[in-house]
Amino acid sequence: MSTTAMNPIVRARNLSKQYGATKALDAVNFEIEAGRIVGLIGPNGAGKTTALKAILGLTDFDGELSVLGFDPRTQRAQLMEQVCFIADVAVLPRWIRVSEAVEFVAGVHPRFSREKCNAFLAHTKIAPGMRVRELSKGMIVQLHLALVMAIDAKLLVLDEPTLGLDILYRKSFYESLLSDYFDESKTIIVTTHQVEEVEHILTDLMFIRDGKIVLDATMDQVAERYAEVMVNPDKADAARALKPLNERQIFGKSIFLFDGADRSQLSQLGELHKPSIADLFVATMKGTYA
Amino acid sequence: MSTVWNDSTPIYRQLRDRVVAMILDGVIKQGDPLPSVRQVAGDFQINPITVSKAYQELVDENLVEKRRGLGMYVSDGARDALLKSERERFLSEEWPALHARLARLGLSLEQLIEAAKSGEKK
Repeated sequence: MSTTAMNPIVRARNLSKQYGATKALDAVNFEIEAGRIVGLIGPNGAGKTTALKAILGLTDFDGELSVLGFDPRTQRAQLMEQVCFIADVAVLPRWIRVSEAVEFVAGVHPRFSREKCNAFLAHTKIAPGMRVRELSKGMIVQLHLALVMAIDAKLLVLDEPTLGLDILYRKSFYESLLSDYFDESKTIIVTTHQVEEVEHILTDLMFIRDGKIVLDATMDQVAERYAEVMVNPDKADAARALKPLNERQIFGKSIFLFDGADRSQLSQLGELHKPSIADLFVATMKGTYA
Repeated sequence: MSTVWNDSTPIYRQLRDRVVAMILDGVIKQGDPLPSVRQVAGDFQINPITVSKAYQELVDENLVEKRRGLGMYVSDGARDALLKSERERFLSEEWPALHARLARLGLSLEQLIEAAKSGEKK
């Protein structure tokens, strides 16, 4: 994410948050531009949810934070007209009927389209008369998604949106998001532990660890910077001399992960591959729980 | 849809190759529209920028044309142009490696023709 952007959707400068002695966010700097799908990935307790809460104006913080040009602490009402949020924790009351939920959002949200919402629900098994407590977890997420996608918001924040869903619901969640919602005027921030399912969807990747951003790059930059090489034992020492980020063993061969190493040099050692986000994550977070 | 992308080539490139294969196989014909960027992004669960990049490659190669307000269409003559360029690419890029492998395995031309014939019969 370049720092020369005219009007970033989110701009954080020295963003900090302390819970007692623990620094949940430690002077974090980042910018998110419009039209991006940003993955905020980190181990449990790294500060992901705190960062999202700060962006949504749900928590106090130190430092500067601007979201869509607003200060989330003092301009939360204006901000909320342009921002939507889906978390894995169900916030829909269990007694409410689907039709009542739709009417409620239509009543409180000026940018909500009832038609869009109902059109989306028509593709699901959710009926207007059903109560939230009769819906499965997957259907509740679908209902959430329908309510949120029908709001013409500039920023969508997703906190573990597919947690606990089966594969079918997970797939259809991202499929709907990409084909019915996202366009270059919208921006999505998503946190998830299921990195493989957002791997190809993201345009930008941020790793957070112990309250600090340890990686902030576009997916193109990630592909340029990092390379994995599978090396035969006779060349393993030569590979180690190039200071790999990580080394793991498969079938008696070593797989080395390099950051910013010379590609022509690496290709002498073996075949080059693009590392998966999961491999990159494991290498970057080494020693987190140790 | 479960799509496996290989990790040694960028995905936009693999997507471009898929469309090329579909044009060569006649699955998408000249004058046919390509599915929208949104549609492809949703179907394959990849970000729309990747899809746009693949489509732009095809436009740059004159295989696909952008019609204002309508979307992308396979150009006239796309299949012939592709056959020509893909044949050239095969001969210059894939064939030398394949030839070297055939030599390494000691396979003769007769054996290959025989294998191809028995494969066709099945």
